[in-house]
Amino acid sequence: MASDEKSVQLKSDALMEQMKLHLTTDAGKALTKKIGLVYQLNIAPKKLGFNEEFYVVDLKKGEVKKGTYEDGKPDATFSFTDNDFIKIAAGKMNPQIAFMRGAMKIKGSISAAQKFTPDIFPKPAKM
Amino acid sequence: MAMRELVSGGAACATSGSSSSSNPLGSLANALLGSSSKTQQERLREIPTSTAIPSDGSASVGTGEPLSGLPGSELDHPLQPNAQGSEFLRGFRSADQHGLADVWDDIQRPQVNFPPEHVLRQPDTNGPPQRVLSSFLHSFVNSSHGGIPFCPATLPVLGLSAGDKQCIRDRSSIMARHFFADKSEDFINAQVNALLSSLEIDNDIRAPGPAFKRYQELEKYWHETHGMRPGPNPADGWVAEFAQHPVGHGDPSTWVQSFEQEHGANGWASEFEHEHAQLASMDHIRGATMPHLAAMEQTRMLANTLAQNNDPKFQNSKFFQFVSKMSRGEITVEDNQIKPATLSAPGDWATEYQQQYSGGQTWADQFLSKGPNGWVDEFASERGHVDDGWVNEFSKLHVNDWAEEFGRQVGEGTFGDSSADNWASAYDEYLNEQTALKQQSESSRGVYVFSDLNPYVGHPNPLKEGQELFRKGLLSEAVLALEAEVLKNPDNAEGWRLLGIAHAENDDDQQAIAAMMRAQEVDPTNLEVLLALGVSHTNELEQAAALKYLYSWLRHHPKYGTVVPPNQPDSLYYGDVATYFSDAARMSPDDADVHIVLGVLYNLSREYDKAIESFQTALKLKPRDYSLWNKLGATQANSVQSADAILAYQQALDLKPNYVRAWANMGISYANQGMYEESIRYYVRALAMNPKADNAWQYLRISLSCASRNDMLEACDSRNLDFLQKEFPL
Repeated sequence: MASDEKSVQLKSDALMEQMKLHLTTDAGKALTKKIGLVYQLNIAPKKLGFNEEFYVVDLKKGEVKKGTYEDGKPDATFSFTDNDFIKIAAGKMNPQIAFMRGAMKIKGSISAAQKFTPDIFPKPAKM
Repeated sequence: MAMRELVSGGAACATSGSSSSSNPLGSLANALLGSSSKTQQERLREIPTSTAIPSDGSASVGTGEPLSGLPGSELDHPLQPNAQGSEFLRGFRSADQHGLADVWDDIQRPQVNFPPEHVLRQPDTNGPPQRVLSSFLHSFVNSSHGGIPFCPATLPVLGLSAGDKQCIRDRSSIMARHFFADKSEDFINAQVNALLSSLEIDNDIRAPGPAFKRYQELEKYWHETHGMRPGPNPADGWVAEFAQHPVGHGDPSTWVQSFEQEHGANGWASEFEHEHAQLASMDHIRGATMPHLAAMEQTRMLANTLAQNNDPKFQNSKFFQFVSKMSRGEITVEDNQIKPATLSAPGDWATEYQQQYSGGQTWADQFLSKGPNGWVDEFASERGHVDDGWVNEFSKLHVNDWAEEFGRQVGEGTFGDSSADNWASAYDEYLNEQTALKQQSESSRGVYVFSDLNPYVGHPNPLKEGQELFRKGLLSEAVLALEAEVLKNPDNAEGWRLLGIAHAENDDDQQAIAAMMRAQEVDPTNLEVLLALGVSHTNELEQAAALKYLYSWLRHHPKYGTVVPPNQPDSLYYGDVATYFSDAARMSPDDADVHIVLGVLYNLSREYDKAIESFQTALKLKPRDYSLWNKLGATQANSVQSADAILAYQQALDLKPNYVRAWANMGISYANQGMYEESIRYYVRALAMNPKADNAWQYLRISLSCASRNDMLEACDSRNLDFLQKEFPL
C-alpha cells in the first residue's frame, strides 16, 4: 500500500496484491477449490537467495500473506528472482525450464510444485 | 540520406519477389562476408552459373528457396556442388601453373560463346541487385584463394548509394589486406581497384566529410540492427585484436570463417564445427559462461538420477534425452531459449590464438592428456578470481539440495510414471513453443527494434502518412510509417512520440518505452511523453521508473511546476509525489490531465478506488478520450471489478475499434474471471490486428490450456492466426 515504501521496489509485490484481490472473486475461489495447496514464494530482488521477500500463497484458505508460512510446512516452496517470477506468472517462462536452469528452486513435493502453473495468477490489465 | 536510400533499396527489392533479407545493409554485409544464412551448398551453386539461365529472375538460385536449412543439416549432406561446379572448383583450387592459365582463359573469354559444359567464373548478374552484388563479391573473395588477379565481369547498374559504396570500399580494402597478406601492396591495391572500378566506386573518396559521416551512420545502424552489444563494435574489436596478433593468419579463409562465426553464420560455422569437433567441445567448455556451467552440472546430476529409472518408456522420453543432452552441453538454455551449443565468439578466438601459440599441439591433445578434470584445473588457474566468482556462485545455487530432493522423490515414487510423462510432454510442448517464439533477448530492452521490411521508407512525408494512418486506427501500418519518419529524422520528437503511442495502443509496452525514451532524449520536457512513460512503466510494474516520470511531468508542467520544490530530491517518495499532485488537482479541478496523471499515480500505489475516481472525473471533462476509458477499465479490472471493466473497454472500443490494447484487456478480464473460452476470442481478435503483441500470445496459450483446447496449442505456437480466427470467431 501507499505507506509501504520499501516493498514498492518489487514487481512481484504488485502481483501479489492483485492475487490477494483475485482470490476473493469466484474465479479465485474456484482456484482454491481446485488446487488446495499452500505455496511459499521466496522472491529475491536481483540475485537468487539474496534479500528475499517471502510470500505465502495459501490456496487452501484462499489468502496471500507476506512472510514465511507459520502453520507447518508449505506443500512446496519456490525461490526465484523478482523478474523470473513475473515471467513465470505471465506465461513468458516455463516453470520447468526455470527449474532446469537453476533459475527456480523447489523444496517440498514435486507433485504440488507441478500444479504451480501460470494460470493461477491473475493477469494485470494495461492502461 | 544514406540510411533511407539503403532501406528503400530493400523495399524495391521486396517487390521483385525476393524472400531473402530485406535489409540491404545486412545483405551487403552478407555479400561481403559470405552469406550467413545460406548453406554452403547454396553458396557453391551460385558461384558458377551456366550461361543458359534465362534472365527472368529464376536465375537467382537460392532466393526462392525458404531458408529452411536447419543448423547442422550440412553435415547430413556432404558438400556436393553440381558436377560442373566441382569440376570447376577442382581446376581452380589445384591451380598449378597450367590449370591457372586455363582458368584465366576461361575468365577472359566472353561469356556468350560458352558451351554449356563449361563453367564460367561469372557471377550471376541476373536477379535482384542484392543477389548480383552478393555473388559478385563472392567472386572477389574467391579470387583470393588462388591469388590470381581479380578480373571482374561487367555488371548491370546496381544503383548503389554513396553509403553502400563507402561501405564496400572500406570493407573490401581491409579484407583485401588480410587476404593478400603475402602479396605486395601494389597487388592488393590493384585487386581492390579492380573490384571498385567494376562497381563504379571511386577509390579516391577517402577523406572524412559528408561521405565519412554517412559511413558512421551506417555503422551506427549496423550496431542497432545487430543487437546492441555493449562496448565497441565487435567487428572493430576483432580487427583490433587481430592486428595485435600478427602470427600466422596466412590462410584467408579462416579469417572469413571465423568472422562469419562471430556473426552467427550457420553454414560455415557448422562446417567449422564438424572439422574441429574436438576443439569445439573444448572451446565450448572454455567459452561457456557461468550459468551454462552451472546448468550443465545441475542437469548432469539430474541425468544421473534419471538414468537410474529403468522404465524404458521414460528412458526414451524426449525429456530424458533433453536432460542428457543438456548435461553433455550439447544444448544450452539461454534467456529461456533452448539453443544448440554454439561457440561463443570470444572463446572462439581464444582457441584460435591458443592454437597458433601452442605451435602444433592441439587443444584436443591437451584435453585428452589432461583428462576430464584437467581443464577444470587449468580453467581455475587461468581465471584466478573470476573462477572463484563462479565457484561461489555455483555453490550458492545449492545444486545438491534439489538434486537430492529430486532423487529422493523419484525413489519414493512421487515422481511416478504418469508425472514423468507429464513432464516429458510439457517439454515437448515447450520445445515447440521455442521454435515458434521469436528471439527477443532481454538485452534488447530499452532499444527500439525496427521492422525489417518497411514499405514507407522513401515515402516523401512519412510523418504525415503516419499521422493519417494513426487517425484511421491502422496502428501497425502507422508504426511502419512512423518508423520510416524517425529513420529519416531521428531527432523528430513528435515522430517518436506518436510511434510510442501507437505501440502502446498496439499492446507493446517494451517498444512503446523504447520509442518514448528516444522522444524524451530529443524533447526532455514534453508532458505527453513523460505521462506515456509513466503509464508504460506502471504497466510493466516498474514502479520506481514510473514514479520518476510522473514526478517529471509535474515538475515540467507550466502551471503546476511551482508546487514541486525546485531541487529534485535524490530519491522520490511516493507519499511526497502524491501530495504534490493533490495540490495540483486542487489548483485547477477542471484540468483533465492532472486527474489522469493522478489516476495513474494511484494505480502505482494500488489505491484503485481513488484511481477510478480520478479517471471518472477526467472522463467527465474528456468523454471521448478512448485511452482514458481504457485506463478506467484497466484500473477496474485490476481491482477485480471485471464487469465494470468490460463496460469501460466497450466504450473505448466504440470510440476506437482498432484499439488492440482494449481488445487484449477484454481477454484478460474474461480470463481472470475464469471465462477462458471467451477470453480466447478477444485475444485472437487483438492478435489479428497486431500479431506482434507477444503478451497476448502468451495469455492466449494459457487460456487455451485452461479451456482444455490443447488441440489448438499448435496453432498458437506456430502463430497460425487464420486457423485460430476460424476456430474462434468473435
